[in-house]
Amino acid sequence: MRILLVEDDPDLSRQLKLALGDAGYAVDHAADGEEAHYLGEGEPYDAVILDLGLPKIDGVSVLERWRRDNIAMPVLILTARDNWSQKVAGFDAGADDYLTKPFHTEELLARLRALLRRSAGHASPNLSCGGLRLDPRSARASVNGEPLRLTSLEYRLLHYMIMHQGRVISRTELVEHLYDQDFDRDSNTIEVFIGRVRKKIGPDRIETVRGLGYRLTPLPGEPTE
Amino acid sequence: MRLPALGRRSLVGRLVLLAAGWSLAVLIVTGLSLTAFFQQAALSRFDLGLTDLIEGLNAGVSVEEGRVVAPALTDTRALRVYSGRYWQIAEPGPNNTIKVIVPSRSLFDRELSIPSGVVAQVAATPAVQVFYGAEGPLDQPLRATAMQVQLTGRAAPVILMAAEDRSPVDREARRFAALTAGALVILGAGILAAVFIQVRVGLQPLFRLRGEVADVRKGKIERIVGDYPSELEPLATELNALVAHNQDVVERQRTHVGNLAHALKTPISVMLTEAQQQPGQLSEVVSRQAEAMRGHVEHHLRRARAAARSQSHGERTLVEPVLDELAVTLERIFQDKGVEIDWRCPEDLCFRGERQDLQEMAGNIMENASKWSRGRVRATAAVVSPERLMITVEDDGPGLPADRRDEVLKRGARLDESAPGSGLGLAIVDELARAYGGSLVLGDSAMGGLKVELSLPRAET
Repeated sequence: MRILLVEDDPDLSRQLKLALGDAGYAVDHAADGEEAHYLGEGEPYDAVILDLGLPKIDGVSVLERWRRDNIAMPVLILTARDNWSQKVAGFDAGADDYLTKPFHTEELLARLRALLRRSAGHASPNLSCGGLRLDPRSARASVNGEPLRLTSLEYRLLHYMIMHQGRVISRTELVEHLYDQDFDRDSNTIEVFIGRVRKKIGPDRIETVRGLGYRLTPLPGEPTE
Repeated sequence: MRLPALGRRSLVGRLVLLAAGWSLAVLIVTGLSLTAFFQQAALSRFDLGLTDLIEGLNAGVSVEEGRVVAPALTDTRALRVYSGRYWQIAEPGPNNTIKVIVPSRSLFDRELSIPSGVVAQVAATPAVQVFYGAEGPLDQPLRATAMQVQLTGRAAPVILMAAEDRSPVDREARRFAALTAGALVILGAGILAAVFIQVRVGLQPLFRLRGEVADVRKGKIERIVGDYPSELEPLATELNALVAHNQDVVERQRTHVGNLAHALKTPISVMLTEAQQQPGQLSEVVSRQAEAMRGHVEHHLRRARAAARSQSHGERTLVEPVLDELAVTLERIFQDKGVEIDWRCPEDLCFRGERQDLQEMAGNIMENASKWSRGRVRATAAVVSPERLMITVEDDGPGLPADRRDEVLKRGARLDESAPGSGLGLAIVDELARAYGGSLVLGDSAMGGLKVELSLPRAET
């Protein structure tokens, strides 16, 4: 397993390199944003540990650049900023996990293991419908390259619809595939979710077929697959 | 100039009071002069009649065989008893008294009185009329005139006197005064009303400005935008600058606080790790002290943020996007556990306060729920009243016994030590909610776990 460690504090870098090495990982180290971006772009890392407060280019920008260039390795963010706006910004930029300083080394190692296990799991191919794209491996979606922010229910809804694109799907069918048996099955909630998903992916991709249900189609002019 | 209490407290009162005082003075002076002028004119006209009478007497009086004979005057009123028009011819007696020689028929059994001063005066100025007031036979107020003349054929002078009841003139003057007073009162009331309206309309922009400032504070608008007259425009500009300055101060403090956090946390992290790797007494002490430092940093950062918060105002935050991004973020954080957050929120619901604070409150509650849940978390935001909103977060975890709920809300309580995290979560939310005049209530959820109800001020849409 090859890990990229991006951290500008020399003491912390030394400690983490040591701990990661002891745990059996091969570690490359970058001390600023520019170097990190260059290394991440060129080398096939299995995971990245990324500090957010970096010289030259800050961590969030580095992460955004990688994701824009479709570099999809799992990224664990390391930061002293523990307020929610920072966490939200980190995940929006494409982070897979988040650890707040100060932390214990064991916790970092545990999180890293979970991250690697998750990314090694399913290797199903990307799904798409016109400009809408879903990556089942990371459970992320994008429209025309712009990443979407989806809750897991919204993602599941879109996943089911993209698997059955072009076909009319009834509300009952959606409820059955979205919820477990023990969850309340209020079909009104489907309308709420359809509304929210439409707001995020654009209003015209999901068509309402009166009395029957919903249909996901590419926009006119977009290539169908 | 000192104004009465009302005038000092209210600008409108002050202006109206000044205008009213000035108008009242002008009206009173006008009324008095008009009345006096009218009375003067009426009396002069009245005196002409008396002069005619006494001139008639003077022209017609004669002395026959030593007796004074009055002329046959045609004035019928002087013939009727107590008619109100009288004349008499008298001669001066000793000590400025008089002795009546010939009275008019109308005097019947009475005579016209004359003060001794007037007798002396007419004696001093022969052939000159002197006017005075007297009392008539029926107690009427009389206007009288007397004149001493020398008759041919008589050595001693005689005094000619004429008098007339002046009550019609007084009555007329009183009626005029009443009429004038009535007209002036109506005029005064009209002026007062006009002044009041003028002041209200004139001060309208001031009232509008007050309304806008209140709206800024309530968070309905971000800054003062209205068009104001040149006197108020600088005030509006200054107020906007003040609002902007306040926001700037809050923002700067937050930045400083964040920088401090970053600056301190990395060294603490390094110390903790280093101490753990090398056993011994030194590392134990360092480890313990570093943990204490970490606690202090957390505590004082929260304090500084709360101080920054109390200065901020006029902010409003849409709730829906905040719940959305928190749900997405938390589902990623708890991905291994497969936590699913089902959230509901009206699209236009607004929190009256800063976005960061709403994120902090909702984020900590939802994180706590995710941490303890067995995979299901539900968050519902709803309108409670025009001024309040409620965010309810429930989970399907083990819940919390009623007797331990107060403990959780206490600062620094660590009931959740078994799960990772700072352990300050709900206590921070409680403190923040109180700063906004809201509240945090813990209860049982129908889903099986804890139900947290966060009540917050709402900004109207």
